[in-house]
Amino acid sequence: MSGLISLMIIIPLIGAILTFLTRTRGQARIVAILASGLSLVLSLLLFMRFDSSIPTIQFGESYVWISSLGINLKFGLDGIGLPLVLLANIIIPLTIIFAWGETKQANRFYGLILLEQVGVLGVFTSLDFFVFYIFWEVVLIPMYFLISIWGGPRKDYSAIKFFIYTHVASLVMLLAIFSLYFNALSITGTPNFDIFHLLKNYQVMDGWLIQDIITLKDAIFLALLFGFIVKMPAVPFHTWLPDAHVEAPTAGSVILAALLLKMGGYGLFRIILPILPYSDSHGILISLMAIIGVLSILYGTFLALAQRDLKKMVAYSSISHMGFVMLGAAALIPLSVSGAMYQQFSHGLITGILFMSCGVIQHSAGTRIIGDLGGIAKHMPRLTFLMLAGFLASLGLPGMSGFIAEFLVLVNSYFTLPTFVILALFGIVFTAGYHLWAMQRAVFGTYNQKLGHIHDIASYEMVSMSVLVLLVIFFGLNPGPVLNMMTTNAEQLLEFVVLRGVIT
Amino acid sequence: MSYLLLLPELLLISLALVIVLLGLMISDRSKNLLGYLSAGGLLASIVFILAIKGEGSFFYDAFVVDPLSQIFKLIFAVVSLLAVIASVTYFKGSRNQDEYYALLLLATVGMMVVASANDLVALFVGFELASMATYVLAGFEKRNPASLEAALKYFVIGSLSSALMLFGMSLVYGITGYTSIPGIIEFFTTNPQAATGAINIVAMLFLVAGFAFKMALVPFHMWAPDTYEGSPTVVSALLAAGSKKMGFVAAFKVLVLALVAMRADIQLAFAVLAVVTMTYGNIVAISQRSIKRMLAYSSIAQAGYISLAFVAITPEMSQMAIGGGILLALGHALMKGGAFIAVAVVGYMVLSDNRNVKNTDDLEHFAGLGKRAPITAFAMLVFLLALAGIPPSAGFIGKFVIFYSITVDAVIQASGWMLFIVIVAILNSALSIYYYARVIRYMYVLPPAGERIKEPTPYVVAIVLALIGTIGIGVYPEPFIQMAMDAAKVLGV
Repeated sequence: MSGLISLMIIIPLIGAILTFLTRTRGQARIVAILASGLSLVLSLLLFMRFDSSIPTIQFGESYVWISSLGINLKFGLDGIGLPLVLLANIIIPLTIIFAWGETKQANRFYGLILLEQVGVLGVFTSLDFFVFYIFWEVVLIPMYFLISIWGGPRKDYSAIKFFIYTHVASLVMLLAIFSLYFNALSITGTPNFDIFHLLKNYQVMDGWLIQDIITLKDAIFLALLFGFIVKMPAVPFHTWLPDAHVEAPTAGSVILAALLLKMGGYGLFRIILPILPYSDSHGILISLMAIIGVLSILYGTFLALAQRDLKKMVAYSSISHMGFVMLGAAALIPLSVSGAMYQQFSHGLITGILFMSCGVIQHSAGTRIIGDLGGIAKHMPRLTFLMLAGFLASLGLPGMSGFIAEFLVLVNSYFTLPTFVILALFGIVFTAGYHLWAMQRAVFGTYNQKLGHIHDIASYEMVSMSVLVLLVIFFGLNPGPVLNMMTTNAEQLLEFVVLRGVIT
Repeated sequence: MSYLLLLPELLLISLALVIVLLGLMISDRSKNLLGYLSAGGLLASIVFILAIKGEGSFFYDAFVVDPLSQIFKLIFAVVSLLAVIASVTYFKGSRNQDEYYALLLLATVGMMVVASANDLVALFVGFELASMATYVLAGFEKRNPASLEAALKYFVIGSLSSALMLFGMSLVYGITGYTSIPGIIEFFTTNPQAATGAINIVAMLFLVAGFAFKMALVPFHMWAPDTYEGSPTVVSALLAAGSKKMGFVAAFKVLVLALVAMRADIQLAFAVLAVVTMTYGNIVAISQRSIKRMLAYSSIAQAGYISLAFVAITPEMSQMAIGGGILLALGHALMKGGAFIAVAVVGYMVLSDNRNVKNTDDLEHFAGLGKRAPITAFAMLVFLLALAGIPPSAGFIGKFVIFYSITVDAVIQASGWMLFIVIVAILNSALSIYYYARVIRYMYVLPPAGERIKEPTPYVVAIVLALIGTIGIGVYPEPFIQMAMDAAKVLGV
C-alpha cells in the first residue's frame, strides 16, 4: 500500500497549482474542494487500513533525494501522526466550504489554503528530519499571504510578526537538527537524516556545549523544545498568536489554530518525548515543561477572561488548551500522553467551530466586540445553537471530545505532577467562566438595537460548522477509533521512561 | 593536456573581438543581433564547461582547470548569459551595443581567468581585465548622471583595491620568492620558521583588504550600493551576481591555500568581517526605498554569510564550509541576477507608463506587480524568499550547508564564540525576512497603480532561467552539492 501518503500530499499540491490558474471564483472553489476532498478520501482509506494495535510505522515509503547528505523523502504513519493527518484533511475541506462565498482574489485564496494542506500533511507524515524541516518552513508562506492579503486592519504588522517569530524558532530548531545529524554521522559514519536514526543516536551523545554550564544533550533538547513551544504556542512565547489570529481571515484563523498549532504538539510527541529520558538533566526539563504547560493554561485562561474581542478571547483560549497538551506530555504516563494527543485532535475540531462562529458574527453584525453585541440569539438562532455547542465543548462538557482529552490529562498527570494538576484545576473553573460569560453577554440577553437588522448564518457556513459539531460529539462519545492508536504509541514511547528510572 | 579545456575562454575572447569588428560593419539597426550572438556564445561556453571533462594545467602552471575553476566559470557564464539576454531589451536600439556586448564578454573572460589562475600574476591580470571592462559597463548610460557617478566611484575604489591587492602580492613574493600559489605553499611547508614573521600579517592584511573590496565586505563595501543603484540594472545584475564572486574565488584560492600555510589567523579576521558585514547589510537594507539599493545591501549581507566559509577551523568542517560557500555563491548568482532583472522589468514598465520618471526602482512602483506583471512578480517572490533562505531553494541549500558546518565546528570545539556567530547569522537570516517581505507585500497586497503590461520576451526568458535554476538547485541539489564539494576538495588543507 505504499505510495498512498505521497499521493495524499501531491493531490492538494496539484490542486493548488490548478486553483491558481483558474479564472473564476466558481472554478476555483470546485477545484479546491475536489483536491482537498480527494486527499480526505485517501486519508480515510489509510485510517481504515491502519492497524491500531502495533506502534510501528505503517504505510512507509522512501525515495532517495540527496544521497550525499543522506536525505530521503521518507513518509510513514503511526498513532501519533495519523489522527493529525485525519484532522488536517477534515479541517481543510470544511474551511473551504465555510469560505465558499469568498470573493476577493478567490483563486489565490483557495490555492493558498490547499498549500497549507500540503505543508501540514508533510509535517505530520515525513520521517526524515530535513524533509520535516522543509515542510515546517513551507507552512509559513501561505499563512503569511492569507493574513497579509485577506486580513484585518493591522494585518501587515501581524503577518510579519508571525513570519519572523516562528521563523526564528524554526532556525533554532535547525541548529539542534544539525547537531543531531552530526552526532549520528560521527557515530555511524554514514550520513542519514532519518528522524528515528537521529533520535536513537542522541542516546549515546556526550560532552559539553559550553564547559560546566550546559551539556550538549540538554542544549539540543532545549533548542528543539523552543522550536516547538513557539509553534504551540506556550507562554511566554505566545505573543505572535493573538495578533495573527485577530487579523487573519476566518479561514486563516481556523487553519492556524486547528492545524499549525498542532505541529508544535506533534513535535513534542515525535521528537521531544523519545529523547527526554536520555537528556542529562531530565528532572529539571520535565519540571520546565510542566511549568510551561500550567502557565499556559492559567495565563491563557485569565487573558481570555479579560478580552473584549470575541476572536481574541478564542485565541487566548487556544493557548490555554494547548497548555494541556504540554502538561499531559510532561506527565509521562501513557494515558496522560495519549490524553494530550487526544487534546490536539479534539481542540483542532472545537477551535474550528469557535473561530467560524466569530467569523459569522463579524460578518453579520459587523463587530466582534463582546460589549457591542448582545441578544443576537433572537436573530441568529441557528448560529447560536452551533456556537453554544462549540463553547460547551471547549469548556469541557462531558459527552464532547474536549472532556475526554482534558479528563485523561488531568487524572493521569496527577500521578506524577500532583502540584501542577491542582494548579491547572483552577484554570478549568475560569475556563468555564469566560466561555459562559462571553456567551451570556454576546449572544443572550436583550438585543442591542444598534446592531440593526442582522441575518443568520449562511447555508454553506452552517454545513461546515454542523459537521464539526457532529464530529465533536461523535468523538466525545466514541473516542476509541482515534484514542486506541494514540494509546498504543504512547505506551511504546514511555517504555524507556520507566527503564531509565525517570519516573517511578 | 588537452587544449580543448580552454575552449570556453577562447570562444568568448574570439567572440568579443568578432563583435567589435562586426559593430564597425553592420548598420545601427541590426546591432540588436549582436545580443543574440553573445547569448549564443555564452550558451556554447556553458555547454563546453559542463561537457568537457578533465583537468589540466597550462602556460607553465599559471592557469589550471579543476573542479574549483569550473564551478566558478559556470557561475560567471550563467550570470553573463542572464545579463546578456536581459540586455537585448534593455539596450534595444542603442548605437553602442557592439561595445557593450564585447566588454561584457571580456569581463566574463576576466572572471574566468581569475577562477583558473594558479599564479598571483595571472590572478591579477584576470582581475584587472574584469574590472576594467566593468568600470566602463557601469557608466554605460552616459547621459545618466547617476550612472556616471556609479562608474567613477567604482573606478576609484576599484583601483585602490587593486593597488592594495598588488602590494599584498608583492609582499608575498618578497617573502617567498614565488608568485605561483603551489610554490608559495611549498616554501612555507619547507621553511616553517618563515611563517611566523610579522610581515606575513601585513601581507595578509593587504590581500584581505583587496579581496574584501571586491566581495563588498564591511567596511570595504561603500562603493557597492551607489554603484549597483546607478549602473544600468542589467549591469548591476552582472556586478552583484558575477563580479562579486570573483572576489570570493580569488580569496578562496589565495587565502585558503597560501595563507593557511602561513598559519595566519584568518579565521578570526573573517569571523569578525562576516558578522559585521551580515548585520550591517541587513540592518541598512531595512530602511531602503530603492529596490536596487536594498538588493545591494542584501548582497552585502549575503557576502557575510558566504564569508562564514572561512571561519570553520577543523579541517573536515572547513572543507564543508567552503563547499557550502561555493554552493551559496552559485545560488546567490541566480537569485540576485534574477532579482535585478526583475527590477529591470519594473523599470521598463514604469517608463512605458511615463517616460520622465527618475527613480524607476522605487518601492512604490512594485505595488500590485502581481497583477501588472504576473511572471515577473512570481519570480521576484521566489528570488526574495530564496534570498531569505526559505526552503526549498538554492538560497536555503547553501545556507544550510554553511550553517551546518559552522554549528558542528562550534560543537566539536565546544567554542562559545563560534556558537555566538551561528546565532548572529540565524538572527540575521530572520531579520532579512522583514525587508524581503515588504517587497512581497507591495507586489501582492497593495492595489496596482496601472494596467497589466506585456512583459518583453527576453526579460521573461532571463527571469525564467534564473527561476528554474533557483528552484532546481533547491529541489534537486545533489549534483550541485557534489560539484561544490569537489571544488572544495581542491582547496583541501
